[in-house]
Amino acid sequence: MNSALLLDSLPAVAAGFGVTMLMWLPGLSLAALLGLTLALGRQYGGRAMDAVLALLLGAVRGTPFLVQLFLLYYGGPFIGLTLDPAEAGLLGLAIYGGAYFAEIMRGGFLAVPRGHVEAAVMAGLSPAQTLRRILLPEMALLILPAGVNMAVVLMKETAVLSIITVPELTMVITGIGSSTFAFTEAAFLLAVTYWVLTEATGAAGRAMERRIATVRLA
Amino acid sequence: MTAPALRMQGVGKSFGAHRVLDGITLDARQGEVTCLIGPSGSGKSTLLRCMAFLEQHDTGWIEVLGQPLGFAPGPSGQRLRLPTAEVARVRRGIGMVFQQFNLWPHMTALGNVMEALRLVLRLPRAEAEARARANLARVDLANRAGHYPAQLSGGQQQRVAIARALALAPKIMLFDEPTSSLDPELTGEVLRVMRRLAEDGMTMVVVTHEIGFAAQVAQHLVFLEEGRIALDGTPAEVFRRPWPPRLAGFLEGYLDRGAALLAD
Amino acid sequence: MARLGACLLPHPGPLPEEEGAAAHFRVLSATPLNATSFALLLDGALITAALSTVSVLLGFAIGALVCTAQLSRIRAVRAAGAVYVSFFRGVPLLVQLLLIYNLLPGIGVNVPGTVAALVGLTLCTAAYQAEILRGGFLAVPPGLVEAGQMVGLSPALILLRIRVPLALRLTLPSVVNEAVLILKASSLVSVVGIADLTRTAQNIASSTYRPIEAFAAAGALYLVLNAVLIGGGGLLGRRMRGAE
Repeated sequence: MNSALLLDSLPAVAAGFGVTMLMWLPGLSLAALLGLTLALGRQYGGRAMDAVLALLLGAVRGTPFLVQLFLLYYGGPFIGLTLDPAEAGLLGLAIYGGAYFAEIMRGGFLAVPRGHVEAAVMAGLSPAQTLRRILLPEMALLILPAGVNMAVVLMKETAVLSIITVPELTMVITGIGSSTFAFTEAAFLLAVTYWVLTEATGAAGRAMERRIATVRLA
Repeated sequence: MTAPALRMQGVGKSFGAHRVLDGITLDARQGEVTCLIGPSGSGKSTLLRCMAFLEQHDTGWIEVLGQPLGFAPGPSGQRLRLPTAEVARVRRGIGMVFQQFNLWPHMTALGNVMEALRLVLRLPRAEAEARARANLARVDLANRAGHYPAQLSGGQQQRVAIARALALAPKIMLFDEPTSSLDPELTGEVLRVMRRLAEDGMTMVVVTHEIGFAAQVAQHLVFLEEGRIALDGTPAEVFRRPWPPRLAGFLEGYLDRGAALLAD
Repeated sequence: MARLGACLLPHPGPLPEEEGAAAHFRVLSATPLNATSFALLLDGALITAALSTVSVLLGFAIGALVCTAQLSRIRAVRAAGAVYVSFFRGVPLLVQLLLIYNLLPGIGVNVPGTVAALVGLTLCTAAYQAEILRGGFLAVPPGLVEAGQMVGLSPALILLRIRVPLALRLTLPSVVNEAVLILKASSLVSVVGIADLTRTAQNIASSTYRPIEAFAAAGALYLVLNAVLIGGGGLLGRRMRGAE
């Protein structure tokens, strides 16, 4: 491959990588926050809320991310929600990821041993204190592997944002590939970049799991 | 004679169609150790959990240190559910030790003992820590304060659980099969701590399979069978021979495990 | 390469500027899509279902092969399997599809777009299914294998009569789950021009200026397909258990 070409495209590639990060990390955080809110809503919001949320979240988890993106980006203006590609992308990631995090966290809450909550009750902790000091920390520890997995999933979904013209890595590199007719090389570079990102995130996750191993076993 | 620390009158509890407890009337006197023994499924754990209001009794009344627990008779004799805050207030006099220890895994031993001191009693950090350490010392675990539950043996975890309950200075301690989850060689350290507590005058209600402990340490023994009290008295009275056939059947399982210390 | 441009850059749905200010004030019409559109969507759904089913089944076969490689005694074979799984799980499916769609002609293999998409989906799901199967094999209690050894069963018989059936039983829920994921992921073949459910919805959205109805209807059809998959999986599971 032409090395001069490679150097010329470096700034563009870096910019694309930056946009990927700007979509992924805030999207992940928003998804986790939304997921927590929804999980708490299902847990403490009453039966009707639980049922309604279960249906809505099931619909979000059961439909393709791309369709949801199209709904937001192309359908949004029809209900007064005009979003630019990046906004639609971020919102899409937050909603899609949020639905999955809601399920993961709900499972986490249910997995906290009931006896730990009873011990808190008997020690005199209020329901709010029990949630804050016992349920939330234990849930967070229990869902760490699933959470890391979800982070990787969302990172890979950022590639789909290229379809609604968010200038992230996939869009940038395929653009370079098609304009220079070196598409196969470009695609390989793209694949390898994501591969490295995935492996790095996975390794970070495993390191975190090892660190909390002393705490989780009891 | 002082008022009983805990009084139950006509207490009953059903799970669906299954009547787990029926017509339970008993007193746990202050400064005494009351042991609940009986076969599996006899309702002993449910009975203990009713004393903590972790299970709600359907019929009858429970009084802890003179205060109604959970339900009280209304002006026209109906059964009134007391507000949660009232239940929590009465619970403050009760400490509970669980079969599964239920230590919070994300906190150290010290953290576990300090948690309620900080959040419920609202003690300042230094005072809470001092009190926590003192209680850990009381169960011989002063040197394990910084360990996480996962780093402690079962016996150590249960002793931390006892310290956690003791730190709140309860008037009554409830023990739900405290040694049933322990390897045999670890039960001794827990029973030793419990014995010391009894000698210090703590009012205790203990559900246990350790018949030897019950015979030696308890002043009050209750034998439960199919949700009803079959025998109630001092160990000497309950274990006086000849044994009723059901008691004999139950004890047979324990006789060759060294429970031949039973008084005749 | 112009094909690539057409593939990636979307042109479904109206851009607000094209419609003018009227778009912002249009009240969402309550009339549903007409029958023709819905029939088109059903066609798209069929393509999606067919594509997903074939790739899941082929993916299972290839995944089984890769899983075998991962359990091999030869270090190089194990490594090859691990690399395969790592790559196809670590790279976004979209990138994999673009890679294969453009790679195959490059090495002289000229296949219709549908086949390229199928290959892409299959290779991807094979990696996930290999991991699922590997987990299933590892989850077979060693005691059951030892019992087989003690009654004199040969390693081949143990594999066939004990380990494989038990592994399959254990992994069925995960495989059904994976099938649902592939069904959703197949929406990406719309970018290589295949007239699946998503691409059909895009076309309808742009021709009728009703993106919400079009994509919502498509979403509903995806949910129906999922329900069929999960129901089918449940039936299969009951049959497997009943055969014991």
